[in-house]
Amino acid sequence: MNLTTRKKAISITRLLLAPMVAVALLLTATAYGAAPGITGPTFNLTAQPAYITQPDGQMVYSWGYGCSGAPGGFAPKPGGANLANANCPSMQVPGPTLIVTEGQPVTVTLTNNLPTAAGNTSILFPGITLQPFTDGVLGLLTREAANGATVTYRFTAPSPGTRSYYSGTQGDLQVEMGLYGAIIVLPANVPASCDTGLSAANLAAEAHWGESDFRLAHAAYDHAKSCYDREYLFQFSEMDPLIHSQALAQVTARGNCTAGAVGCSLQVATEPYHPAYFMVNGRSMPDDMDPNYAFEYPHQPYNGNPHMHPGEQVLLRIIGQGRWQHPFHEHGNHVRILGRDGNLILSASDANSLAGPLLFTTTTTPGLAMDGIFYWTGKGLNWDAYGHNPASTDPLAQLPCTPDANGYNTGAPTAINYYEWCQDHNKPLQAAPFGDVAGGGPATLPDPNLFTNGAWYGGSPYLGPNATVRAVGPTGTTPPSGTIANPPTSEAGFAFMWHSHNEREITTNNAFPGGMLMMMLVDSREFVIDESN
Amino acid sequence: MASRKVGTPLFLVVLVCLVTLPAIAQSFRVQCPTSTITHPVAANNNSEPAYTGPGVNGAIKCQQISGGDGYATMGDGTQTFMFSFGPLSGLLDISQGLPGTQFPSVFNTVYSGAPLQPGDPATTLDASGPGSFTYNGAVGLIPDLDVGPTVIDGHVDPRQMMDVGVMNGNIPAPLMAIDEDDEFFLTLSNVGMIMRPDLFEQHTVHFHGYPNASAFYDGVPDASVAINIGGSFTYYYLAPDAGTYFWHCHITPPEHLQMGMVGQLYVRPRQNRVQVGNNLYTALQQQQSDPRTACNSAADILCSNPLPASNSVSRAATGGYAYNDGDGSTYYDVEYPLQIHGFDPNFHFVGMTFNPEGFADMKDKYFLLNGRSYPDTVTPGPLETMSADGKKHFSQPLPSIINIPAGKKALLRISDLDVTEYQTLASLGIPMNVIAINAKLLRDQAGNNLNYNTNSITLAGGESIDVILDASNTTKYPAGSVFYLYTPNLDHLSNDAENFGGLMTEVHIN
Repeated sequence: MNLTTRKKAISITRLLLAPMVAVALLLTATAYGAAPGITGPTFNLTAQPAYITQPDGQMVYSWGYGCSGAPGGFAPKPGGANLANANCPSMQVPGPTLIVTEGQPVTVTLTNNLPTAAGNTSILFPGITLQPFTDGVLGLLTREAANGATVTYRFTAPSPGTRSYYSGTQGDLQVEMGLYGAIIVLPANVPASCDTGLSAANLAAEAHWGESDFRLAHAAYDHAKSCYDREYLFQFSEMDPLIHSQALAQVTARGNCTAGAVGCSLQVATEPYHPAYFMVNGRSMPDDMDPNYAFEYPHQPYNGNPHMHPGEQVLLRIIGQGRWQHPFHEHGNHVRILGRDGNLILSASDANSLAGPLLFTTTTTPGLAMDGIFYWTGKGLNWDAYGHNPASTDPLAQLPCTPDANGYNTGAPTAINYYEWCQDHNKPLQAAPFGDVAGGGPATLPDPNLFTNGAWYGGSPYLGPNATVRAVGPTGTTPPSGTIANPPTSEAGFAFMWHSHNEREITTNNAFPGGMLMMMLVDSREFVIDESN
Repeated sequence: MASRKVGTPLFLVVLVCLVTLPAIAQSFRVQCPTSTITHPVAANNNSEPAYTGPGVNGAIKCQQISGGDGYATMGDGTQTFMFSFGPLSGLLDISQGLPGTQFPSVFNTVYSGAPLQPGDPATTLDASGPGSFTYNGAVGLIPDLDVGPTVIDGHVDPRQMMDVGVMNGNIPAPLMAIDEDDEFFLTLSNVGMIMRPDLFEQHTVHFHGYPNASAFYDGVPDASVAINIGGSFTYYYLAPDAGTYFWHCHITPPEHLQMGMVGQLYVRPRQNRVQVGNNLYTALQQQQSDPRTACNSAADILCSNPLPASNSVSRAATGGYAYNDGDGSTYYDVEYPLQIHGFDPNFHFVGMTFNPEGFADMKDKYFLLNGRSYPDTVTPGPLETMSADGKKHFSQPLPSIINIPAGKKALLRISDLDVTEYQTLASLGIPMNVIAINAKLLRDQAGNNLNYNTNSITLAGGESIDVILDASNTTKYPAGSVFYLYTPNLDHLSNDAENFGGLMTEVHIN
């Protein structure tokens, strides 16, 4: 958490804040995110083994793609600089996210540094047409790299969108072991409208609060309906630890056997399949909410820790990388599916109109990638989420809300309540006045002694530090001993759980909570969403 | 009251505590205001007004549920322990398969008559026959004598609530139904789990799929507050866009959902309230003139019902619409909520016997439609289960038999809350016309309907789908014919060890 970027609008008592910060750091309230990866157009990858860590303390023997040597570059580059600690290790799960631009000639050279007994390996690029080639050795689905050797794949980056890549060699074992990743193709022709109007206003709002632009591009496709303000990539996969321990035992037993020699191969049973780890971007909750490139996870650099401000159009890039389907449920609102595997879904009668479904549960399917747009505005709650109070002496409690044609306060990008839903402006929630928030509303809250607070509870029903501190003071209604990942004085966001709705998958090796679970935070504009520090 | 900003926040906290605590310090209580800022005229809030144009009309709706435990009867006769919600309002309606959601005039009715019994309404109905139990109000509600002899302000008698609320779990949990523009007050009273005195579990309600939800009322304990045993928490929402949603507890979801804390919820569209004979397209145009109810595809990427092609379809004299379609394409004559679920008997046994539960190897052996497996799915009326208190309770009030009048259309509001695997439901006979997924009309941004025919739908836990069974062809679907909804996951056509039953029910053309 970078406290120096906090705005002075929030009154802070340092005494209270210090322990909070300590706790919050442990609980990773830091806002890191983005869709980080490496840029080409030439990628020199290696496939090799390492151990990845899980929150139950297990180090799981895995295989992954990584960089052999420094990559061409990293993206995003907010303010022209790489994300903090950006790196591309020699092996990572998921593999490096390959970021290319539509029409670009791309070269991917893969070196097989897996144990000899693992045999050949390769990469499939589903939906992408490779240039004819003859290097490597012939495999079942593609040409492969023999042990210690290389194979080079060349293609022209196709239509924009998110796609998966994964091993085409003995996939039941190699994909399970971690040989998968994402390829993001950026549009060559971003519509001009993605840099005007509300898109430009959001940039102005970000700039006002000292936020950087973390986007890889300003649109997901060459289409005006695909402009976005922020983006996140989520790769879902599961692991059966028995498969990994068998692979390790056999690799160890075979030692430095000679490739092709009798017995120099693995006989790992991949059925029956009993996964116990359910991961987002190679990490299980709560590790997934730690920063990108965190040193604790040298082979799992990517996180799942989405944050956004009200009204921001947020691009979700979602891939199923395991062998199971996972019903990924986004609390808070629906997701408009833009396209699948780089295929934009448009209306049959009007190419300017989208036709993808609106989903609150985006089922991930093995190998399939989806791009979708999510936003949250609080429209229609019927109460003022900012707890505005015309009778207050705090100027921030008296901010105006001037509706645009669609009912939102978009005329003042520098205001805390930029993009507030104006029909509910000044509408009280609580029947009795509470702190510096007006009464007269419909609901009565129970005695705070009757309920239990969550770690991501902002401390009041209201959004943002100003409203929360006015309502309940700097400690919220959480007892001082409460663990707070969303502190009342600094963040007080609206937290929403994004998780697999096959609920047994929000566990880590039989322990709840864990697995495919992360908290998405909608933060008021006071909170600086800093994805880089 | 402290309505001004005070110098030091710490002082503010002290002030807040001093001033506000006494006013709200009560354990159980219910909330159902007769009027609000949004619905200011109490007399207008006890029925749904006609939709005549922009603005929030609608009404006020209230419901009370218990969070606790109970028993249900599986298709092979096994009595199964559940963590579960039960009805604490609309007891009669729930027992008849109806929503327990009530207008204030009904909810705020104080019970009179012989004292409510554990197991009610089953206890009274079983003893005295149909008509002997008529109460639909909030269980526990009594005048607040501290304020006045007749003042109804949500004050309750905890004894009544415990008598009725303990061990009255339902699967599915009590049905909820509201209309767009309604304000909905849902009170969850945590009565504790009598069979698991070692647990001090909170419970919550997650309104699954609500667009633009608030974190506070989203029911995720990590992101909000969760009510302890002996307390009530009232959830407040203005009804969201019409659609088939569902609800469940969000405490330790792999456990509480598997154990049975799952229910159904749908929101009816404004279009139902258009005057009979009035043009539906015109009514949708009226909705377009209010940003709250409009769907402007140019400005809002998450709305699903832009204006369709201009048409002259008018509000039918009977039946309803699933969505604000503006063209009558989601019309139905009868509607049935159908919830898919699964129970793992080993997990439920472990859950009853104080043992640690494993999640990774959870394996459902009972496959449920509205909490029942075939042939119980076609048994009319509520299913009763004897609980550990020696009383029979209406454990599974909702049959899942689909009765369609000859020549008519049935809307199936299908949701799935299985926590372990995907399930498929197929129609042997009448095609399934899928009109909506995840509570959103299937229509592209240009206004073209994208509904489609299929013979099966596949859902994971956490998904919903709206399907119309169109039996208007009386030659193909004559009165007296029987069709089946069943799962082609053939191993799900079983009730644990019985190789018969499972996820199946019947469609009767009457």
